Amino acid sequence: MDKTFVLKAEVRDNTGSKHTAKVRAAGRIPAIIYGHKQAPSAVSLDAHNFNVGLHHGHRLIDVQLGRKKETTLVKALQYDHLGRDIIHVDLMRVDASETVKIAVPIELKGTAQGTHEGGIIEEHVDSLEVECLVSDIPETIVVSMKDVAVGDAVHAGDVELPEGVKLASAPDLLLVTCHLVAAAKTTEELEEEMPSAPEVIGETEKADEDQGGGEKE
Amino acid sequence: MAMMPKRVKHRKSQRGRMKGNASRCNYVAFGEYGLQVLENSWITGRHIEAGRVAATHFLHREGKVYIRIFPHKPVSSKPLETRMGKGKGEPDFWVARVRAGQVCFEIGGVEEDVAKQALVRVAHKMPVRCRFVRRRHTV
Repeated sequence: MDKTFVLKAEVRDNTGSKHTAKVRAAGRIPAIIYGHKQAPSAVSLDAHNFNVGLHHGHRLIDVQLGRKKETTLVKALQYDHLGRDIIHVDLMRVDASETVKIAVPIELKGTAQGTHEGGIIEEHVDSLEVECLVSDIPETIVVSMKDVAVGDAVHAGDVELPEGVKLASAPDLLLVTCHLVAAAKTTEELEEEMPSAPEVIGETEKADEDQGGGEKE
Repeated sequence: MAMMPKRVKHRKSQRGRMKGNASRCNYVAFGEYGLQVLENSWITGRHIEAGRVAATHFLHREGKVYIRIFPHKPVSSKPLETRMGKGKGEPDFWVARVRAGQVCFEIGGVEEDVAKQALVRVAHKMPVRCRFVRRRHTV
């Protein structure tokens, strides 16, 4: 991954939903820069340039704020309700020599042995939390699927990490499993399991109480 | 009998109205591909079951289908040729309230084109406009 990506930012003087809506309408993304015990600053970034950088796998962004340049790490992204557009970005100030904890996406490589035996691969987690230098953040963590047979599972501890990268997630975190697919239930089978009408909480207890009271009398 | 809860606190509910968009359950969380609803609507248990059957039938024991909506809301109706009044009707069917952005079905363990074809079949069973979505990987 090409390490940094330079983006020009503009300071947002006005905050609040009405003002951020105007910023978005102008083709920019509202963002916040924080960290290093400095005051947070509300900025806006060009939406197109930011998206291009993100799609090329850039995590580190050099934000140009007037004459000032700050190295930041994309910490969080907020999407709209349809997941199409980025509506807000959190940028954390970092130094290249700093160690950070960060979630890195997992890339499954190869065809699992189990898929030839009729199994399917189920990905339980799509990222791993690792600890590394800001300059050494890997783009993805490759998990080899070659030897995964039916009934096997890959845990976080089994993954080979690049040099200088330490695992921050629990080593027993389940990443991927290979298993056979159980036959889907037919509508008739489901109908048998389903009640004809749901039980009403409280009504059955009331009925029991009434019955109990009747017996006493 | 379509999907319905096993236990409920109240047998009947008021109709209510739906505002806004889905602020949760609006991304693919379990599988790799999903079907996202684009309108606010009620989806009945029969629609959900029809979608499930369409997907599992197309996939024939390949991949896994996840259903992320459940019909929790009872809808009552009056019998035919009944005069108005005399209280609220009996529960007729059950619906899931979905808002724009909600991911209702997910598929994992298959190639993208297979998942797309299966989810198109599911979308045809839905009473609302839907779109195909992929899992969004973390930054």
